[in-house]
Amino acid sequence: MEGLNIPLNHILLIASLLFVIGMLGLMIRRNIIFILMSLEVMLNSAALAFVAAGAHWGQPDGQIVFMLILSIAAAEVAVGLSLVLQVQRRFRSLDMDSLDWMRG
Amino acid sequence: MNGSQMQALMPILMLSLTAIVLMIQASIKRDEKATWIITVVGILLALWGAGYARDFSQPVTILLQVDNWGLFFTALVLLASLVTVVLSQDSFSSEGGSKEEYYLLLVLSALGAVILIQSSHMASLLLGMELMGVALYAMIAFPKKGLLPLEAAVKYLVLSGCASAILLFGFALLYAATGELSYKGIGEKAALAYISNPLLVMAGTAMVTAGIAFKLSLVPFHMWTPDVYQGAPTPVTGFLATVSKGAVFVALARIYMDAELHQYESLILALSVLAAFSMLIGNLLALLQEDIKRLLAYSSIAHFGYLLIVLIALTGSEMASEAVTFYLAAYILTTLGAFTVIARVSREDQQKSQISEFEGLFWRNKIQATALTIAMLSFAGIPLTAGFMAKFFVINVAIQGSHWFLLSALVIGSAIGIYYYLRIIFSMSKTSGNDIGFRDRSGDITALLLTVLILMLGSWPQPFIAFAGGL
Repeated sequence: MEGLNIPLNHILLIASLLFVIGMLGLMIRRNIIFILMSLEVMLNSAALAFVAAGAHWGQPDGQIVFMLILSIAAAEVAVGLSLVLQVQRRFRSLDMDSLDWMRG
Repeated sequence: MNGSQMQALMPILMLSLTAIVLMIQASIKRDEKATWIITVVGILLALWGAGYARDFSQPVTILLQVDNWGLFFTALVLLASLVTVVLSQDSFSSEGGSKEEYYLLLVLSALGAVILIQSSHMASLLLGMELMGVALYAMIAFPKKGLLPLEAAVKYLVLSGCASAILLFGFALLYAATGELSYKGIGEKAALAYISNPLLVMAGTAMVTAGIAFKLSLVPFHMWTPDVYQGAPTPVTGFLATVSKGAVFVALARIYMDAELHQYESLILALSVLAAFSMLIGNLLALLQEDIKRLLAYSSIAHFGYLLIVLIALTGSEMASEAVTFYLAAYILTTLGAFTVIARVSREDQQKSQISEFEGLFWRNKIQATALTIAMLSFAGIPLTAGFMAKFFVINVAIQGSHWFLLSALVIGSAIGIYYYLRIIFSMSKTSGNDIGFRDRSGDITALLLTVLILMLGSWPQPFIAFAGGL
């Protein structure tokens, strides 16, 4: 069946936009949970680009890398959220700016 | 996959087996002593596996490339893990509670590093790097008390995750341009794709470089390094500085050589700028530090700047691959030596790593003070130590490739470096009021062995040079 044919460049553009949104969020947001979400957006934009490129070349590799990224992002967020719990318990805040005990 | 390919994967199999045994052991009966012994035996078995696999060098599927060069770094990474296990034995045990999981994480992180070293494909690079990284976040945050380890872990997680995302996006763009994921394939198709679609290839290469520069903490991607070095428990800092950075550099060298990236002028220029900034800014900022772990963080930034020179001059010299091997080996041994002593001196309180804490160390423990002195001299590149031979190789390679600009940055950087390395040595020779000697058998033996290795590499390097040339 002929699928919907979207040019590769359009999808790459969307992926780059998502990537920039994630990166801006990472830099501007101060709440750790939002920072983790922005990180997730960045990883998923890379995954989207992989799927699009895989479809463009007619290879399954892109989708396989997508699944790898999915599992890696899950592992990263699992560790990240457990750190968030500890931060809330010890610093009594989820603000990234409260984590500035080290200087120099 | 046939039998001989399985045998080529012996170190990876041994580490995986160790991780499984550790999990089963922890679920049956929690016993820190037993966990420690299993970890040490497992890493020794993997070291044996690295020697055993030498007879089976070959590409294992498209994902991994087992060769002598990679196996040598595998052995080096395993040695560093072993030292970390020994150092961790009674570090941060005063925090209460046991740390079986810590050893499990350490084995997993070492496994990730070994996969990263042997990877020849984007997928294995991704898996190895993340396995190493995610286990490291948890290792940094492991101490139950204290705010600094947690702060360091959160910062490392966010910035390392960001670097991974940048790296991945770069590889996605390269994949879109070339349709290949293995380093060799990207290299073969990139030149052609560059003509038809220069923007995609340029952006992809730039992002891959930026992502790796983040992990190697090259200036201007170095902001996380001092905080993470200072906040992490000292044995973990040593592990991060040697295993994690060393493995990422080997992966970078592999990408660089397999994909034949030296033919792109703009990439060479970008790497040269990164190297020059790292050498100068790393050394300058190290001058301001009062905390020895932060100081070594900046010093490591500078050292990876020196190492980049070799990569840049790779084609201009036959000695380049030996230079990478020698420099990385010297850097890993010296860093391990330094962190062994730091972990022992500041062990009662993980936060006590000010340079003033080291005053009078010569009167308190002669062996460890000597070991730290030799390590600092080796960092500074004083003759008869491994660091001197390593720097000699780098300068030689740079001259052969006539990279005069980088060479001048290296000379200025090293001159600044001598000041702060000697400052630590002077501080150790000062007398302070309460010089109570302390004895510590495992720390002394580890420090002594590493010192002997550093001196041997520096004063009698011929066997090692011959060995490195044969890799």
